[in-house]
Amino acid sequence: MNDLLTVKDLTYRKNQKTILKDANLNLSSGKIVALLGENGAGKTTLMRIIAGVAKNYKGEVNLEGTTKEAARKAKLSFTDGLTGFSDSTKIKDVVKFYATIFQDFDENEFDELRKFMKLDNDMKLSQLSRGMREKLIIALTFARKADLYLLDEPFGGIDAMARKKIINSIILWKDEKATILISDHFVNEISSLLDEVVIVKDHTILEHKSADDIRQNHETIEEYYESFYADEDDE
Amino acid sequence: MEFKDNIPIYLQIEQYLYRQIALGKMKAGEKIPSVRKLALELTVNVNTVQRALQQMNDQGILYTKRGEGNFVTEDTELLAKTKQTLIDNELDEFVQNMEKLGVKKENLITILEKYLKKCEG
Repeated sequence: MNDLLTVKDLTYRKNQKTILKDANLNLSSGKIVALLGENGAGKTTLMRIIAGVAKNYKGEVNLEGTTKEAARKAKLSFTDGLTGFSDSTKIKDVVKFYATIFQDFDENEFDELRKFMKLDNDMKLSQLSRGMREKLIIALTFARKADLYLLDEPFGGIDAMARKKIINSIILWKDEKATILISDHFVNEISSLLDEVVIVKDHTILEHKSADDIRQNHETIEEYYESFYADEDDE
Repeated sequence: MEFKDNIPIYLQIEQYLYRQIALGKMKAGEKIPSVRKLALELTVNVNTVQRALQQMNDQGILYTKRGEGNFVTEDTELLAKTKQTLIDNELDEFVQNMEKLGVKKENLITILEKYLKKCEG
């Protein structure tokens, strides 16, 4: 299978602290992949580097043959927490911004997603609950036509109904060839969706395994993930 | 539908569909729901459903009509055999569980007969 994304010997330091060290990762097309690790393990940084948002790293990030950050940004869809918008911004204004910035942003597709998520165009960001905000981020991310989607902890602190909506939107909107990388520190809620699991620990990528290979050994994805932290519980 | 997370999901989808067919919820010659619909219903990945359906196609339980989807076979012999496999699987589990409880295989029939009589009241 052709590699969609290759991360080679990636090292990233910020304020003299090592956040990632010699991380290597290969992702192929058409997969749903979990990026698992504790808070602070480096999951978000890895996503931001792949997305071309965090710069000044060492190593190589290659997305479909291109290593340039701007070109990568055009091929992948990543919504960085809506941090650039003020609280009084309405959803429809965020959409306008996205449609201007990203050529592959499909407003009709967004509208379908928005209806599915039950969001109102006239709502201000300050009016959104945590779950609604996360649903908006997902709708914005999926409204682009990309080869790689990066979802950074989409399930953090949201209720079961919002979670179900997001999971269903992944099943419904994922294009056959697209790959979705989802970061999380709790795997149970998405384990039935996964093709592959990537473990981030000790500032690097420790393991990358197919979900079925894990289950073939009669291990659950959660047990597999927790096995990397077993030694720490004993202390 | 809840899946066990320590058994490959595609195998469990196969089992689920076999059961639907054996229970007559999906009938011989009928079209089964689309891949995406099944994925949504079972909260699983489209790839995983596809893998299960591919296996069932290989086994002859399902057949694909180009552009139309997947259909349940009309081969009644094969369907009967499939149902028997499901029954055998249940019995396997039953026998194993009884053994764990200390019931020997040779005593199973007697115990079962007694139990059934009790059920009839």
